[in-house]
Amino acid sequence: MLMQRGLHRGGQRPNEKHEILPPVLIGALAGVASGLLGVGGGIVMVPLLTIFVGFNQHRAHATSLAAIVPIAAAGATRFAIGGSIDYGLGALLALGALGGAPIGARLMARSGEALLKIMFGILMILVSVELLWP
Amino acid sequence: MSPQLIVGIILAGVTVGILSSLFGVGGGILMVPFMVLALEKGQHISEGTSLLVILPTAVIGVLVHRKHDFVSFRHAGFLALGGIGGGYLGAELALNLPAETLQTTFGVLVAIVGVRTVTRGARQMRAGASLGSGESHAPPPDDGP
Repeated sequence: MLMQRGLHRGGQRPNEKHEILPPVLIGALAGVASGLLGVGGGIVMVPLLTIFVGFNQHRAHATSLAAIVPIAAAGATRFAIGGSIDYGLGALLALGALGGAPIGARLMARSGEALLKIMFGILMILVSVELLWP
Repeated sequence: MSPQLIVGIILAGVTVGILSSLFGVGGGILMVPFMVLALEKGQHISEGTSLLVILPTAVIGVLVHRKHDFVSFRHAGFLALGGIGGGYLGAELALNLPAETLQTTFGVLVAIVGVRTVTRGARQMRAGASLGSGESHAPPPDDGP
């Protein structure tokens, strides 16, 4: 069982593609969507990583989150230069978020592939509702 | 700021942190409306503050995910490369394109892929259950999205 888990959730990844272009294009698409519409990031990168790079759900979520770090840093710098950040409010939100992040990460590790896929699909549907009924 | 409000904001932060590392998203989809609607902050301030909060939150999430060997830093680097360039392009395009049409198109695409993701997940779950393993970690029968 442990071997099987390792095969599909870490360890060997027979279906993953290693070309450079697909992730660059996926990132660009996420960046354009987020610059245009204010949403993007993970909601674009995760499904495209599973479809075009062959990632399983766990790997797509974790890698998307890693990509968000420099993308958010670039975005936050732009807003900080423009003076559009409320640092006090940010500190309070971050206080909670830093507590919640390890909980979410452990929840992900404990969720099976199918369950994670269903939950992410529901999140996408909720986001689409927010987009279509503003 | 009242103590209740402070606790409320921190709890909203906890929710953002859980969603962010569970789903690999920034959490702006929750934070920006929260700040605009509940705290009556401006759209611009809310987006900037949201990006600042995402930064340390995502770092912590990635550190935990790395322990399980879920992260491909190589792919993340190329995603970020495209993402940063795309962000500037998107901001430029936003000034020249009809935002409403784009939002509707994007919303429909997200809905379609979302439904497809749910049905694939449900199919995997049924296939896993029919193997009689009763094990929620059972590997998927196919590695499609």
